[in-house]
Amino acid sequence: MGNKFYTPDGFNDQFPGICGVKRELESKLRNLFLLNGYEEIETPGVEYFDVYKEFVKEEELYKFTDSKGSLLCNRYDGTIPTVRFCAGRNYTLPVRFSYIENMYRSGKAGGGKLSGFTQGGIELLGASGAKSDAEVLAIAIKSALEIGITDLQVSIGQVKFFKGLMNQLGIDEEGQSKIKNAIANRDSVTIEKLDISKEDKETLLMLTEAGGTYDTIDQIMPRITDEGAKEALSNLKEILDIMERYGFLKYVSVDLSLIESIDYYTGMVFKGYTYEVGFPIISGGRYDDVAKSFGKDIQAVGFSLSLTLAITALMRQDKFVPSKCASVIVGGDFELATATAEALRAEGTPAILDTTGMDEETLENYAKEKGIETVMYMGGEA
Amino acid sequence: MLTIALPKGRLADQTLDIMEKAGYDVSAARDKSRKLILEDKDAGLRFILSKPSDVPTYVEYGAADIGVVGKDTLLEEGRQLYEVLDLGLGKCRMCVAGPAELKDKLDEIPNKRVGTKYPNITRSYFEGVKGESVEIIKLNGSVELAPLTGLAEVIVDIVESGRTLYENGLDVLETVADISARLVVNRVSMKMKEDEIKPMITKLKETLAEE
Repeated sequence: MGNKFYTPDGFNDQFPGICGVKRELESKLRNLFLLNGYEEIETPGVEYFDVYKEFVKEEELYKFTDSKGSLLCNRYDGTIPTVRFCAGRNYTLPVRFSYIENMYRSGKAGGGKLSGFTQGGIELLGASGAKSDAEVLAIAIKSALEIGITDLQVSIGQVKFFKGLMNQLGIDEEGQSKIKNAIANRDSVTIEKLDISKEDKETLLMLTEAGGTYDTIDQIMPRITDEGAKEALSNLKEILDIMERYGFLKYVSVDLSLIESIDYYTGMVFKGYTYEVGFPIISGGRYDDVAKSFGKDIQAVGFSLSLTLAITALMRQDKFVPSKCASVIVGGDFELATATAEALRAEGTPAILDTTGMDEETLENYAKEKGIETVMYMGGEA
Repeated sequence: MLTIALPKGRLADQTLDIMEKAGYDVSAARDKSRKLILEDKDAGLRFILSKPSDVPTYVEYGAADIGVVGKDTLLEEGRQLYEVLDLGLGKCRMCVAGPAELKDKLDEIPNKRVGTKYPNITRSYFEGVKGESVEIIKLNGSVELAPLTGLAEVIVDIVESGRTLYENGLDVLETVADISARLVVNRVSMKMKEDEIKPMITKLKETLAEE
């Protein structure tokens, strides 16, 4: 029988009960995005490889060819296709787009991290500055809260801060990538061994400390002379100010070690965490240079939330109630049963109509097994 | 409650010694039964004992918040973790070793075959650092046999005292990396359980500095 019954590694079926909840969460996200003026778009899910090749490692894309031999790949994320969509058209900027789609990433999967998963996200294109950054961050936090992730911690960092700091310390490119890795891994061991002054080491070690909010910025600010790095810190400060107005400061902390993974970020970046899943459920940031790959200059910021990981988290946090379809099953005399089921449906009660002619006992047993609350057996027997 | 993944064996005991000195009650983990999960609700600690090379997996996926693992395993597995502390335990070196007569002549052999338990470390060393392609032969133990039997010219392996090498006419040719046990932390736990994890790191750091 081969692989007939199985899904490929990293891909899951969505079971009834879970799928229902997922759709509900999707609608909640969709409403939230629309409420904030982010219009939904749908990209095809298949892109030319060229769209992604500058941004994603080749081995992480699912690739195939079309009938003309062009190299194609599956949608890897929401951002790049949205930028492609926007860059190819003459929209008056800024423009706000949202999406809820399945993403496909080849390579390491596991721990709730799948190769095929659903993300919801937004992109604010053609807008720069802390106010735009903060809008996206605020919607990211609202999204998590909206779908029931209330134990939420969001770390915000700044890519420009690291670049400026490296400039200030006069570290060459090779040294930079070593330090970048060390800081992203909070590897104080490697930093201690670096051949730089004690004071510079202290500054780098401050980056690896888990962050506070304003205090983290105030602590490191006096050590910074590079203008770019200073600007980056003021950008974070302004974002914090806006978060305070939203009442979201309690969810946010500054983490200057957040410089890893995706290289296309150019400004503030953030990741959102919750209990019981080992990976961030939210990821976002400013990516002013991505549109350049499509020949346009569009400053942009966005985020995505992994619904798949969020559902795993909700389940493990005992906050997940499986969805149920019908609460009534109607059987017995088919004509009467049909009319009754239709009447129930008309008033909005989900009703199953027995089309197999079960007798009363069989129908009751069936309902019990399926968890259907009410059995209505129509006439006939008297 | 913090879940700590320890590698079964001597390293686990040594880690517990350090934790004890740092003021943690680790008596639950000293249980010599065959239990794999040892929990002390009052101390707020749960220990899981796993195969050393699986520790980073438990921590990356968040099944454990903290782990103790050799730098060799970290380099080989390349996982997304915070590596916060050098525990200074299990010190050794990752080396390229081979027949003693190859000393300083390693670069002269073209298309080397390299026997190793660590294919990723080997690849990144030869390709990334030395800039050459090699044929990697994955072995699971007694790696020294490879150059002796002609299976490979050289090996990449952990060297502690070097006795096994010398007794078999082999020698260290190049050092790839210094190895010791590290304390690793799950990236989400570091955020969500900061109040428990940060003081632990600080206390362990202080204890290590005293020694």
